[in-house]
Amino acid sequence: MNTTILDITNLHVSVGDKEIISGVDLTIKKGEVHVLFGPNGSGKSTLLCAILKLPGYIITEGSVRVHGTDTAELTTDAIANLGIGMSFQHPPQIKGVTLGRFLETINHGGDLSIPISELAMEAFLERELNVGFSGGELKRAEILKLYAQSPDLLLIDEPESGVDIENIAVISRAINAMLQKGSPMASRERSALIITHTGTILNTIHADIGHVFMDGKIVCSGNPLDIMEDIKRDGFSGCVKCIENRKEIS
Amino acid sequence: MNAYDDSTLEAMKNVAYAPGEEKSARFFARDTKILDATSAASAIEILPIAVALEKYTWLRELRYSLVAADQDEYVKQVAQNPDALGYFIRVKAGEKVVLPIYTCYLIDSDHFTQCTHNIVIAEEGSEFHLISGCTSNKHIVSGRHIGITEYFIKENAIVTSTMVHSWGEEVEVFPRSATHIGKNGTFVSNYVALSNVKSVQMNPLAIIEEGGLGEFYSVIYAPEGSSFDIGSTSLLKGEGASTQIISRVVSGGGSVITRGMIVGEEAGGRGSMACNGLLLSEKGMIHAIPELLAKNPQLELSHEASVGMISREELSYLMASGIDEEKAKSLIIEGFLDLHIPSLPDYLQRHINAIVKETKAFDTI
Repeated sequence: MNTTILDITNLHVSVGDKEIISGVDLTIKKGEVHVLFGPNGSGKSTLLCAILKLPGYIITEGSVRVHGTDTAELTTDAIANLGIGMSFQHPPQIKGVTLGRFLETINHGGDLSIPISELAMEAFLERELNVGFSGGELKRAEILKLYAQSPDLLLIDEPESGVDIENIAVISRAINAMLQKGSPMASRERSALIITHTGTILNTIHADIGHVFMDGKIVCSGNPLDIMEDIKRDGFSGCVKCIENRKEIS
Repeated sequence: MNAYDDSTLEAMKNVAYAPGEEKSARFFARDTKILDATSAASAIEILPIAVALEKYTWLRELRYSLVAADQDEYVKQVAQNPDALGYFIRVKAGEKVVLPIYTCYLIDSDHFTQCTHNIVIAEEGSEFHLISGCTSNKHIVSGRHIGITEYFIKENAIVTSTMVHSWGEEVEVFPRSATHIGKNGTFVSNYVALSNVKSVQMNPLAIIEEGGLGEFYSVIYAPEGSSFDIGSTSLLKGEGASTQIISRVVSGGGSVITRGMIVGEEAGGRGSMACNGLLLSEKGMIHAIPELLAKNPQLELSHEASVGMISREELSYLMASGIDEEKAKSLIIEGFLDLHIPSLPDYLQRHINAIVKETKAFDTI
């Protein structure tokens, strides 16, 4: 049985005339949680946007396969419906559309009462989508959206940015529940690709594989906690030195 | 209760005039015939205008006092038309009527020009909600509706007036209305037109006295081939008078001019205006013309206007959740047109939302 959910091969992505992603290979299997570390502007968010083919992100070379299906000819909604859900870092405000109406539209028939309660979103269902939401509320609404979509792969862009400690705990619990973190790896159905700038989220969400993303490439992969320790100690400049040392050795 | 044929019932449904629904009073006219003018509440007097003019001589003085009989060629046509019909509604002083008053005009003959003249009086401290439907039967190829309404809102009275239009593709419509809002009175006008029409042209006027409030809300969907020239004018005549003019317009290929004019005369007047348009097709046109005229330094007048296409960011966000492009657009348009009117009672807002759902011509999800 093929357990690969996402398979990215030699991906190059441009925004405008500028190449932002320069040859990324990444495979995510069922049940795996990957985390992307990287400095600001390294192209992490661009990678997530390119997977969903959001407007303005042009794939110039390489391929993205979801459950074995090449997404080259697919629209954003069709890619999402292959089983991809994305929590945006900066979701837009949509006036006149309530959170409840939005969830009702995208819900695949699941009962959302528990996640609504656990994410404390009851009071927001009649509010216009993301209009006047605080940082924590935006993140909670985005995670609730993922519950409604129930995708196989969660793309989560900086879940901890602009969020206080209490909200990080609430969001992490909800993400862990979605990822069935209490179950053995082999029985987990969902996978995730999580972007983190600070790595804080690793205190509350267990990731299986970490990648360092710099200048539009994955430059290093390994144990996410080890990578985070290195970054904490030496910063991303430590990664640059490490890469240079490896080049010299080879 | 009159028995109506199926096609009339269907036309009524398009403007949410259900014969069986609870109403405090009702009025229904087809072409030149008034088929129903009934009040279920002693607080409300509802009469054919011709009967009311016979009964009350003072009413003859009020007629054409807000809309001049020679204002334009359309008003002249009504003033000179012996077949012109209309309603007279009066709610007695201090009476607060909860259930809405429904009125409905139907064009049932092809190439017919329906001329109407209505007078509505809210006596001191009264409160009521009027829902007016104007529609044509489905077999109508072309027609014309010219409707004059003069509203007199007395001191401390509160009136909401919701007008719902649902016409045939070749029908031309010329509403002519004006409202006098007395001291501390409130008048809220909602105009909903979400289906076919050839053209609508109107610019209702509100003259607002001391402490009075006049609000105009318009929700319009202009399909291809339709032409709207709609606006509202508020004259802040008394001290502390205030007004709000809000229009949400979507052009699916139709041409829309959306006007707003606030004239401030006395100190303490406040007025704001927002004209927002969504242009969905290159065949369409939206021209927003907000105007402010201040004649006193102690006024607060402001406006905002925006015309654009559906935000690509909003669209792609919805699509990234698995919603296809057409449904995502429909959701955004529905949201854009879902105008929440703070001064309406909740039950009426829900009712109007249901009307919006029922009458819209664009795709639904």
